[in-house]
Amino acid sequence: MSDTLIALHNVGVAFNARLRLGAPRFWALEDVSLTLRRGQRLGVIGRNGAGKSTLLRTLAGILAPDRGRIERAPVACQLLSLSVGFLPHLSGRDNAVLSGLMLGLRRREIVRRLPAIREFSELGDFFEQPISSYSTGMLMRLGFSVAMQVEPEILLIDEVLAVGDADFQEKSGAALRARIHGGTTVVFVSHGDAQIRQVCDTAVWIEHGRSVMQGGVDEVLRAYHAAPHPAAG
Amino acid sequence: MAPHFLELLLFATYAELRAERARSYLGLLWWLIEPAMNMAVYYLVFARILHAGGDDYVAFLLVGLTLWQWFKSSVSHGGHAIWIQLGLVRQVKLPVRLFPAVQVLADTVKFLYILGVLFGILWLMGYAPNPAYLALPVVLLIELVFAAGAAYLVAATVPFVPDLRFVIEQVLQVLMFLSGVVFALDVVPEPLRRWFALNPIVVLIDAGRGILLHARWPDASALLRAGAISLALYALGVWLIARLTPRYVKLPT
Repeated sequence: MSDTLIALHNVGVAFNARLRLGAPRFWALEDVSLTLRRGQRLGVIGRNGAGKSTLLRTLAGILAPDRGRIERAPVACQLLSLSVGFLPHLSGRDNAVLSGLMLGLRRREIVRRLPAIREFSELGDFFEQPISSYSTGMLMRLGFSVAMQVEPEILLIDEVLAVGDADFQEKSGAALRARIHGGTTVVFVSHGDAQIRQVCDTAVWIEHGRSVMQGGVDEVLRAYHAAPHPAAG
Repeated sequence: MAPHFLELLLFATYAELRAERARSYLGLLWWLIEPAMNMAVYYLVFARILHAGGDDYVAFLLVGLTLWQWFKSSVSHGGHAIWIQLGLVRQVKLPVRLFPAVQVLADTVKFLYILGVLFGILWLMGYAPNPAYLALPVVLLIELVFAAGAAYLVAATVPFVPDLRFVIEQVLQVLMFLSGVVFALDVVPEPLRRWFALNPIVVLIDAGRGILLHARWPDASALLRAGAISLALYALGVWLIARLTPRYVKLPT
């Protein structure tokens, strides 16, 4: 048990369906149980609307459970989020600092990494320009470069494995794969079997907000595809 | 306050001010032009048309409005802050009170600029600096705590009842007239005056005018009471935001 970083016991998460007193709540997660061990690379599979993204945000500690119980070891656990808190009129440099602070880095840490961010994002002199002058590709490069500076013990990834134009996709994908296979504990949400097989060593299957099965990747994928496909709820 | 929160607060405030400056042609100048225009309107209406106040009225009005506008903009900007940033609240785990705090701090920086100009104007008008100025930081600190507390309380509730946004400006307008900003509260009958004195803004503006215009030290017991009320409000605001934080993320988009 000492290796368990996070354990979910019958966790449910409900949202307010509408902004009204006494409005019904909508249970995005009904009953999810899973364990995440140190160094594990857990894939989350399930159909659209099954609650995969809600599960990630619950693991990240952004959403608190409305029922059930979460045990977590005191380790940093973070969703890979691009361009958090970016402000259009600020320079790339200032946005990198602001975003880094919001992602939990200390000021001196992020300032120390600014040259690396500038280098990796290939922005050159644009780094000092307001990001409102950036192209979409440039924004993604900056967002990714900043997000990669945060090195949580548990990295949560929602679909994104690479960003940007063709060249940068290769570079960002390689950087992320290096992080994933460098011993970090990972939870990865994806639709693609191939990606799950490539990234993960275990998988959990979520159906209508319930965890159906957790185990080896092949085993879970086989069961998932063997099951009849009800309409996504 | 945790060092990380403080770093984030300071940098986010800098970013907010910087972005605001970049959004208009005149940039920083608006920090002065906007309150100046506002003061001109009140001067025109109350001094020229209604012939309110006496010889001191212009200075009386300037001090009152300067202190009031700081409070007012803190509450109206800070009060919207969590609601406006709900997208960010859903995305990362952050102490939510950061958002109103940034707005209050940004408005405080702007206020300090205006205060500098106010000093200059008052000195030109013949109200010289005096020893009672030493009490000014205490008055301003209490106002900061009160403004932050009020902003937190509004900010905590607006995400659940966004309709409040339409009411806040009106409530602030009424509060301004009840706070003795544009005319003195001498007209308030004695039994009521005790209740008015519970409003920290009344006490703070009165203290500010005493210091700046009459070289008069503020009433310590009144300041102490205003300080206690402000601190209580601030604590309530911090508590309420912390209490409601898990629920902001679950509001409908």
